[in-house]
Amino acid sequence: MYKKLSNLGFVIGIFFIIISLILIIGGLLSSTLAYKLNFYTGFTFLLFGILMTAFNRNNHQQNQN
Amino acid sequence: MNLHIADYLIIIVYFLFVIGVGFIIKKKIKTSNDFLTSGRNIPLWITSLAFISANLGAQEVLGMVASGAKYGIMTVHFYWVGAIFAMVFLGVFMMPFYYGSRARSVPEFLKLRFDEKTRGLNAISFAVMTIFSSGISLYALAKLLEVILHWDFDVSIWLAAGIVMIYTFLGGLTSAVYNEVLQFFLIVLGLSPLVIVALHDAGGWHNIKTLLQPEMTHAWKYMGNADSNPMGINFMSLIFGLGFVMSFGYWCTDFLVVQRAMMAKNMNAARRTPIIAAIPKMFMPLIVVLPGVIAISLMQPALASKGFSIPSDGKGGLDYTMALPALISHYYPTGLLGVGITALIASFMSGMAGNVTAFNSVFTFDIYQSYFVKNKSDRHYLIVGKMVTVAGVLLSIVTAYIATSFNNINDFLQLVFSFVNGPLFATFLLGMFWKRTTGHGAFFGLLAGTLAAAATHGLTLAEGKGGWIYPLYEIHSGMGQAFIVASVSWIVNFCTTIIVSLFTRPKPEAELIGLVYSLTEKPSYHQDKWYLKVVPLGIILIVATIILNLIFF
Repeated sequence: MYKKLSNLGFVIGIFFIIISLILIIGGLLSSTLAYKLNFYTGFTFLLFGILMTAFNRNNHQQNQN
Repeated sequence: MNLHIADYLIIIVYFLFVIGVGFIIKKKIKTSNDFLTSGRNIPLWITSLAFISANLGAQEVLGMVASGAKYGIMTVHFYWVGAIFAMVFLGVFMMPFYYGSRARSVPEFLKLRFDEKTRGLNAISFAVMTIFSSGISLYALAKLLEVILHWDFDVSIWLAAGIVMIYTFLGGLTSAVYNEVLQFFLIVLGLSPLVIVALHDAGGWHNIKTLLQPEMTHAWKYMGNADSNPMGINFMSLIFGLGFVMSFGYWCTDFLVVQRAMMAKNMNAARRTPIIAAIPKMFMPLIVVLPGVIAISLMQPALASKGFSIPSDGKGGLDYTMALPALISHYYPTGLLGVGITALIASFMSGMAGNVTAFNSVFTFDIYQSYFVKNKSDRHYLIVGKMVTVAGVLLSIVTAYIATSFNNINDFLQLVFSFVNGPLFATFLLGMFWKRTTGHGAFFGLLAGTLAAAATHGLTLAEGKGGWIYPLYEIHSGMGQAFIVASVSWIVNFCTTIIVSLFTRPKPEAELIGLVYSLTEKPSYHQDKWYLKVVPLGIILIVATIILNLIFF
């Protein structure tokens, strides 16, 4: 896990996934956050976070091989 | 503006991540080189993004939006005239010397090329400049939090400085650089929705062009006469002052940015760092200039129904520095508001941490180790480096209070740069490309250039600033004054260095191999594909930049 956390791309990916979940889940659960702009931005962040995490995981595996 | 739980949650997550990065990196820090120079082991994509992020501080984000609102689309000159060309030049011509010399800092390179006194002068002036820059970042954030969130100014300064101190103290340069990359993505992705929504609300670029005075939406068309454009300078002053002296002085010699390229794994990566960094840099005006132009458009009578306004500065004018916070407050709902505020906090941290880490490298290696305590153990210098980090943050707090007397922080920063960076590029240009340049020439040239900068500032008056010797000549804007100060200092340095060098003895050629262009074997990468070579990449960037200038002519 420490090795994964040392991978900056992985850390950035996780950060954006967490922020996207706050925007998306918060928007679904609370009227205070239920704005279109929050959802659009949340999904963009989620996509970016997943791509960063997956890309850096593949890189990490290739480096190990 | 009121934040809700979700907004605070986003800010807290961000703080936890930046401090967490510091703790992760802490385990890798074993030597003073790990702490102060990252041990030259950072991948290219990180060095490239860190290269522009180090410049993406609060003064860049808030200051450029402010300039966009104040001067219009002309502000893009800071990118398409004042950055890309210099970044390409750095990658193609100067990085081989910096990286190949194995110097740990720019002042150390000056010692290798010239002598100890030139290094000392540069190290001290650079240390002062980084502390000023860091303090301006801190001031910008504290002012922002005071106005937007009604947080106490003093508490904001100490709290924000404390967080930067934690992660730079724990992980040194690597920690700062890793956080800079995280901050880069946060700033770009966090502010992009704002640009899209605000531009749509203003009726698109075409509508903005019909609402504003034409000189606000053309980059070059009104540059023929200083009186006909909002920046108050003509194209010659801009090209020489910004495009040559200040731009090359900053991007090619400022250790804060050069340090990021010097962390690369090998020479080819070091040379490509500024070239790759120039690609996102070229498009940064979309994030930091366009919002300012949109903000001033939204204040036109035709768009009064939108209800947007930039706060007053209390003297009958507009507080342009608050243009971006005002846009965020106006357009971002709860949730995204937290993202926007966090992006601004990130920009502050990026700028401040970059300056503090550059300051501690230069102070520890070029001042402390060179002049005060030599030949101590590596552990000693590691501890000193950490102590200097704390001292750097404390000094930044002092300069933050000094910055409170300026209404446009970007003008203030450009002024500081013009004093220090203005003359410096002349020293490097002559030092790297004319083997006859001597240490005495470089030292007295730098000294004369800096004094000329001070004298020019003292004899010119712009927006009530300067003229402290005698207000001999009035300039329309603070920005124009900074260009003129930088130009004069460069010319004085260039001439003084040549004259003194001709009357003093140069170093033997054997000692200049790897430091002077004509005596150094040129690196060749014939086996590499074209996109791995710096020259083809640089040409593509220059052509693209020229096209952008023509589009917004």
